[in-house]
Amino acid sequence: MSAAVAQYAALSRRSLLTMVRQPRAIIPPILFPLMFMALSSAAFDRTTQLPGFPESESFLQFLICATIVQGALFASIAAASDVAHDIEDGFFDRLIASPVARTSILAGRVMGSLVFGFVQAWFYLVVGSAFGLTVEGGFIGMIGVTLVAAMFAAGVASLASAFAIRTGSSEAVLGAFPLLFSLMFISGNFFPRTLMDGWFKTAATINPLTHMVEGMRAQVIGGLDLGEWLSAFSIALGFFVVGLVLATAALRGRLAAN
Amino acid sequence: MSSAEVTWGIARRSIVLISRLPSAFFPSLMMPVFLTISFAGAFSGIVDLPGFPAEKAIDWFIPMTTIQGAAFAGITTGMGVARDFESGFYDRFLVSPASRASLLGGSLLAATLRGLAPLALLTVVALVAGANLHAGAMSIVVLGIACLGIGLCAGAWAVGLAVRFKSTQITPLMQSGMFLTVFLSTAQMPIELLTGWLHGVARLNPMTNVLQLARQGFLGDVTWDTTWPGLVALTGMIVFLVGFAYRGMQRVIP
Repeated sequence: MSAAVAQYAALSRRSLLTMVRQPRAIIPPILFPLMFMALSSAAFDRTTQLPGFPESESFLQFLICATIVQGALFASIAAASDVAHDIEDGFFDRLIASPVARTSILAGRVMGSLVFGFVQAWFYLVVGSAFGLTVEGGFIGMIGVTLVAAMFAAGVASLASAFAIRTGSSEAVLGAFPLLFSLMFISGNFFPRTLMDGWFKTAATINPLTHMVEGMRAQVIGGLDLGEWLSAFSIALGFFVVGLVLATAALRGRLAAN
Repeated sequence: MSSAEVTWGIARRSIVLISRLPSAFFPSLMMPVFLTISFAGAFSGIVDLPGFPAEKAIDWFIPMTTIQGAAFAGITTGMGVARDFESGFYDRFLVSPASRASLLGGSLLAATLRGLAPLALLTVVALVAGANLHAGAMSIVVLGIACLGIGLCAGAWAVGLAVRFKSTQITPLMQSGMFLTVFLSTAQMPIELLTGWLHGVARLNPMTNVLQLARQGFLGDVTWDTTWPGLVALTGMIVFLVGFAYRGMQRVIP
């Protein structure tokens, strides 16, 4: 049991170090959402005066949770492409040949993304606070938001890892990026659904990410709301469970093929 | 071979590469379509803001996303030059008797022409989505002028970086440079409705005038008053960025 825990910890640590030691790979996924947040907060601040816009102090307050989720999405896909790199450069085969627990190969990556997603969410909250962001839910609200972000990051990492293990190609993982990117943007994450119309509003309403971000946002603009938080966390957990099932199946398939 | 033949040969090779390596060019076509859908859909409510100049969100956003597409398309030319440096192919051009100006001219001609691909695709998207073309065909003509100019600027920026760094690893800087230039302007909101630091930056950014040139036919009539500031801004950007690429090309050693 302790050997298994040590293996999980070692591979999680390796996953985190891989991300941190490749600044070229990890800085853009962190900076792009930050840049988008800075630009959109300044550009769309007046829109908070529109009738139907949720009562917010600023557009930054409305946007911060979407930025956090966007960052988690980008970083987790970068992490999953490392899984494919491991397959491409033969490290995956060496792991299989060693007496390491099979599930730790996957769990290491997912745990690494979970920890990174948590830290990254705090980073965005701290940067936002430096620019006047107020979180109505206070410190507990921030913890709630970062926990959802961490779970979502683990979910995306699992989903993308399933794809990475199945294809064994980092290019294919990055090629799947537009699909998740669309899920992120065709939603109510960047503007309130109340101010949308037509098919886009319908698509945004169906999109589970809309409801996840709205649940997180409730803690920021309205104050602590357990019901909304549970709704957000359940969706993140759903991503994680589906991702884990798919990734485990993909891992079994590759092991059987090997 | 004359300089004109070299220039055309390089440009033709770059254009042919679109069909030979579609994965490198395809994102520059699809990204603006996706941006159009996202911006026009998500921000459809901003037209209700007092003072907002467009009837529909798509009228406001599609010229910006077309410009962004032309920029991405121009950048792919620089990415191609960087790839040729990595494979050693570009060194053969450099040691040939062809002048550096004709080599650069070929890449920049290709970048300019590549900017027409997103224009064609997004014109179709605009028509399908029911965008207002208040000035009829002139709406597309002025948008086309802006696209050709920005394609050339983006190509010059990307080639300038490619000849300095000789590596595709510089691609993120090529992309983020153009992305920021577009978004640090009136890309998302008119200047009157911008607040804080972005208002000040957008006023100074020449891209604001280029976007005014590109958008005018979607918001109203095409007039000289809303055209010339864009043409001046484009000329200034072209002179500066082509100068940047030319200096790099003159100094590059095989």
